[in-house]
Amino acid sequence: MTYQHAQDNWFSAIIIGFIALMVLLNIFRARVGAQLFIRRIPGLDAIDEAIGRSTEMGRPVTMIPGMTSFGVVAVQSLTIFKYITKQIARFATPMRLLTGDATVFAVAQEAIADAYNESGRPDLYDGDSIRFLSDRQFAFASGVAGLIQRERVAANFMFGEFYAESLIFAETGNMVGAIQVAGTISFTQVPFFVAACDYTIIGDEFYATSAYLSREPVLLGSLVGQDIAKFTFAFLALSGATLATVFGVDDSIIKLLGQPGGFDAFIQEYFGGGTP
Amino acid sequence: MTWQLNPQDQWLWIWAIVLGAFVLVLGLIPLLQVLPPRGRRALVVGITFLAGLFFAAEFFMPVNEEQKNMLTPAIQPAQNLLQLIGALALGLGTYGLVRLHLKNVVQKRTQWGYSVVLLVSFVTMAFFSIWNTLAEKELAPKTPLLENSFKLLFDFTLVQLDAAMFSLIAFYIFSAAYRAFRIRSIEASILMFTAMVVMIGVVPLGAYISYDLMGFSAEPTPEGASFVQMLVHNLGLPKVANWILTSLNAPAQRAIEFGVGIGGLAMAIRLWLSLERGIT
Repeated sequence: MTYQHAQDNWFSAIIIGFIALMVLLNIFRARVGAQLFIRRIPGLDAIDEAIGRSTEMGRPVTMIPGMTSFGVVAVQSLTIFKYITKQIARFATPMRLLTGDATVFAVAQEAIADAYNESGRPDLYDGDSIRFLSDRQFAFASGVAGLIQRERVAANFMFGEFYAESLIFAETGNMVGAIQVAGTISFTQVPFFVAACDYTIIGDEFYATSAYLSREPVLLGSLVGQDIAKFTFAFLALSGATLATVFGVDDSIIKLLGQPGGFDAFIQEYFGGGTP
Repeated sequence: MTWQLNPQDQWLWIWAIVLGAFVLVLGLIPLLQVLPPRGRRALVVGITFLAGLFFAAEFFMPVNEEQKNMLTPAIQPAQNLLQLIGALALGLGTYGLVRLHLKNVVQKRTQWGYSVVLLVSFVTMAFFSIWNTLAEKELAPKTPLLENSFKLLFDFTLVQLDAAMFSLIAFYIFSAAYRAFRIRSIEASILMFTAMVVMIGVVPLGAYISYDLMGFSAEPTPEGASFVQMLVHNLGLPKVANWILTSLNAPAQRAIEFGVGIGGLAMAIRLWLSLERGIT
């Protein structure tokens, strides 16, 4: 169910406000020095191992944000790729960043150049390593598969939003023996990555990646805020299921949780005297 | 309050907007270059915050019966602006692609023949596409050469190549599934067993085995049935497969979706308030 405006169901607007508050509050906590714990994510520990292998073999590393158009997911993907590039720059390992979105391409050029500058190796930056191949799904897929085959890449990182082309990338990488780490928010593609890649980052772990890699207080705090919001959602889901079982699905408290106008109906019934 | 233009003032307004945008962009570039890094950052942070505030305010402000508030009519123009930025970036991406392949050809790098194919395809496709667009707007003649070439290039080449790439996925699924279903651990065994039940259950073979060979009931559970009767009524492979998909798979996917949604919202807040320092 999608809401066009907060007024459609004020309860959802309150939830959005609550999540924002939790995130900001924990960012503040982290900034003032609170020690925040983040669990181990094996897929992210494998990034350094994959880069090391590429360096030893003298073969390139590929980074693919997929067909992701520029937005929150693309920013997260490029943040991860920037971290990987910084590691790559230390060993002068060749890299290729392949994208199917022109705006992501333009921003990626700047992000990768920044990564080389921050690593103290601006001389290693090659603008031709960042490539916009095509914005047509399968033209992009064939371009990526061809490059992986021709250059026999040793490590393949796929972070972003993927569709049917995901398995083409992952299987081609598998055929050339590349270590593959994939992270996606597209849950329909997760089984393909799990089957074809060495490590897969699933769902919201994708957004935890930058916090895990950088250990920056702002990102760690945000992650703790997200976890509190997740627990709240789990509690609401459980409460909703229990209440629906006890009172039935037409009860105003159930409408409050998920129907347009449910908030007003709930307020009127419990505080305004009778059902509207 | 409306953001739509009166038809008689349309051209005047369009020119004023185009000119205003031109002056703004031309003025903003030198301003960004003149400003010290701190000032430049403050400017970017300010613009990002205002742009985000616009969409947030539109969502939270009360609406009338037509589901609109004073900012709603400006949403579409703002989204058009995003498309405009995308179109400019597409030009940049295309330039980068052509430049790279021209370099490959001129310097005769390894496998430069592929670059020749790309450049020839690019020019031919662009030529006939532009010609076709102009012909559709009756700004160029629609000749048999155009019609035949366009059909050959798009319907008989590009679409078929797309279909060929898509069909490859079937073979890739097969090889990936073979690796995933090899019994190496308890988890892999559970995965394989579940996959087998679902695969057989959703095809007619499942119904044949369960209902025709084994004699399980295909009817829905009768009203007031006991727990054992319910269990017996739902032992057929199609019903088990459906239960796995709707009661095990769907909640897990929803949980992932919740996590992704919350993660995306947190990221959006960090970007809006310029707390994210990854690539910004």
